[in-house]
Amino acid sequence: MGARILVVDDSTLVTDAFEILFRAAGYDVTTAGTVAEAVGHGRASSIDIMLLDLSLPDGDGLEVLEMLEANGRLPRATLAMTGHDDPKIRQRCLDAGCADVLLKPLPIGEILRHIERHLA
Amino acid sequence: MTTMSHKVDHADTAQRLKSLELQAKEAQTTIEELNARDALKTQFLSNISHDLRTPLAAIITHAEVLRDGMLGDLNEKQRESVTGIVSGGQQLLDMIDEILTYVRGAGDQLTLTRTEFSMIELVDQVRMLNQALAAKKKLTIERLNGDDLPPVYADRDKLKHVLGNLIGNAIKFTPEGGRIWIRMSRYAQDADQLVVEVGDTGRGIAAENHELVFQEFAQVDASPSRPHHGTGLGLAIARKLVELHEGTIWVESELGKGSRFFFRIPLNPARG
Ligand SMILES: Nc1ncnc2c1ncn2[C@@H]1O[C@H](COP(=O)(O)OP(=O)(O)O)[C@@H](O)[C@H]1O
Ligand SMILES: [Mg+2]
Repeated sequence: MGARILVVDDSTLVTDAFEILFRAAGYDVTTAGTVAEAVGHGRASSIDIMLLDLSLPDGDGLEVLEMLEANGRLPRATLAMTGHDDPKIRQRCLDAGCADVLLKPLPIGEILRHIERHLA
Repeated sequence: MTTMSHKVDHADTAQRLKSLELQAKEAQTTIEELNARDALKTQFLSNISHDLRTPLAAIITHAEVLRDGMLGDLNEKQRESVTGIVSGGQQLLDMIDEILTYVRGAGDQLTLTRTEFSMIELVDQVRMLNQALAAKKKLTIERLNGDDLPPVYADRDKLKHVLGNLIGNAIKFTPEGGRIWIRMSRYAQDADQLVVEVGDTGRGIAAENHELVFQEFAQVDASPSRPHHGTGLGLAIARKLVELHEGTIWVESELGKGSRFFFRIPLNPARG
């Protein structure tokens, strides 16, 4: 079975699009729209890659990382997704333990390349 | 008689003072109202840009998945059509991003992150990024010189944005078969400053519009039927970004005789 990807974004338009993309690329995909949902999925099964939007309705996306870490269930790699090309935001994500920070939106070829690289 | 007129003068002055005070107060209220409305407008632009971006990004992702045949093979016409969705979406996204950048600039939320880098490498990178667009109109983009220039200490991303805007405009406003060039030199009056020129053989800009084009939302041809579309923010943003570098930006052009846009920035400002 393919690696497991958790997509966290408050817009179902975004999670739906990624779900179709990653399924088509042969991955196992789960989606979440809130911090609570994401933490729930992360606790229930081990995640290889988490794509994490920073602004979620019930809190800051980086809280997901914090809570999963407290439970010893960190994904192998977390890629933060942000719309702002801001060095401060970038640093905050890296400090919180993200493996990389991707600027939304990214061409699908590049997203897939990032994921492969972090799975390797 | 004299005392009388004095008295009248006093009363008059007091009255005039009072009315001036009133006017000043009214003006102050108007300024406050305008500022509040301006802040509201800025907030609105920022929110709407962000909210437009999300569904648009999803549309583009869906279209890319289809285009790349990830959900099954497409015939040539289908692929062309879906490719059109992707590029249309991307163009829209670029415009939204331009509005967002402008809003952040207007709100003084832009700060410089300086690093040392080679301007010629940056120019060549932006040239490469625009190659496909230029090729479509049979335009050439050349860098004429610059190999002997020292590195600059500046915000690479922001200058990339400036160059991107200038070259983007040159492509947009130059008819098929034209030429676009980039030339760099030290400023004649002050060798510590770098001058970058982006020139084209396009339609040019009349002298009376040289100031106007740098103003926000300003377009020489603003009619809805105009052949080129855009937000009219590109040069206003470019000016903002250049001025953040303590530089200046200007244009030399005549209608029908091409345009040369210049910006000048300190090569290596005191590091602090
Ligand atoms: N290279 C150029 N040649 C001719 N006209 C130009 C050029 N660059 C800019 N302009 C004029 O300046 C206007 C403002 O440019 P800009 O701020 O980039 O907005 P936009 O490209 O969205 O129209 C353009 O609409 C055009 O009329
Ligand atoms: Mg423009």
